[in-house]
Amino acid sequence: MEIEIEFISSKVLESKSKGRKINYILNRIKKDKILVFERSLSSFDESKLIEETMKQIDEKFSGIEISTLKESNIDGVREKLIRILGGNPGGLTVIGPSKLVKKIKKEPERISLFAEFKDSRTRKK
Amino acid sequence: MNNVPIKKLMKWFKDMFGKKQGIRIGLYGPPNAGKTTLANKISMDWTGEPMGTVSEIPHETREVQKKEKVVVRTGNKSITMNILDMPGIATKIDYEDFVSMGMQRKDAQMRAKQATKGVIEAIKWLEQVDTALVVMDSTKDPYTQVNITIIGNLEARGIPIIIVANKLDIEESKPEWIKEAFPQHPVVELSALTGNHVEQLYEAIAKHSR
Repeated sequence: MEIEIEFISSKVLESKSKGRKINYILNRIKKDKILVFERSLSSFDESKLIEETMKQIDEKFSGIEISTLKESNIDGVREKLIRILGGNPGGLTVIGPSKLVKKIKKEPERISLFAEFKDSRTRKK
Repeated sequence: MNNVPIKKLMKWFKDMFGKKQGIRIGLYGPPNAGKTTLANKISMDWTGEPMGTVSEIPHETREVQKKEKVVVRTGNKSITMNILDMPGIATKIDYEDFVSMGMQRKDAQMRAKQATKGVIEAIKWLEQVDTALVVMDSTKDPYTQVNITIIGNLEARGIPIIIVANKLDIEESKPEWIKEAFPQHPVVELSALTGNHVEQLYEAIAKHSR
């Protein structure tokens, strides 16, 4: 099986409400895609995503692996302005279904993702 | 719309003018970090009664466990606490993991379902605690998304955080990793199992909680 990785522009999430943002992410994850967003999710988005993930867990979907790199701590005028306007000036988020993503190892400035495909047909009911 | 400032203001008014029966201390962390072992230690020390059952199998605590009016004395201070032992927060729960630990399939599926509800409950409580003890297993990499999400949510709400570097009794324990990962918060190194250094936690609660 091929593993699909989607690199998604920050504009895609910016235009969505919190609920639609979470649904957008989970719908893609449940299609066995690994998502890389060009921004970090806020802490509130992360907890909402975990909450919604828990609601959708069943025999076929066992959850997600997620890691975020927050934006640089060095604040320029641009970053400050974006933050004042309620935006998020950068960062990176990687999310994948836990059945594909075996482990995500995070260091302060780097994310390593280890994916492994397990055939779902071997899963007992 | 972000209504966190309004909630903070309401909480401030409530704290200032309401009759506070004790500070709500929430024990947060991933599964198997030792939250219930620590809650039991605190409860046994000051009330003589345990709070919950402990297990090697993750997600033993699947509902918030409460112990009210626990009076802790440290130095010349006395603090009345309502202890809230939260279910472990996780991003995935696979019933097959419980099966591989020897559980029957139906029991494993039931445990997984209850565990998902427990995670949701723990997240909902994030905005209702006065102080959080974030319990981490000091033998493991602290840089996990669960730890980062819990701390990020508490920071955004302005809730005081004390990080507990637990399992100091295990040889592989590396509490310095936790201090490096979260230098912005006080870290107490202890063993909830043996009770070693737990007095330092009481001192930290007296100093940092509100």
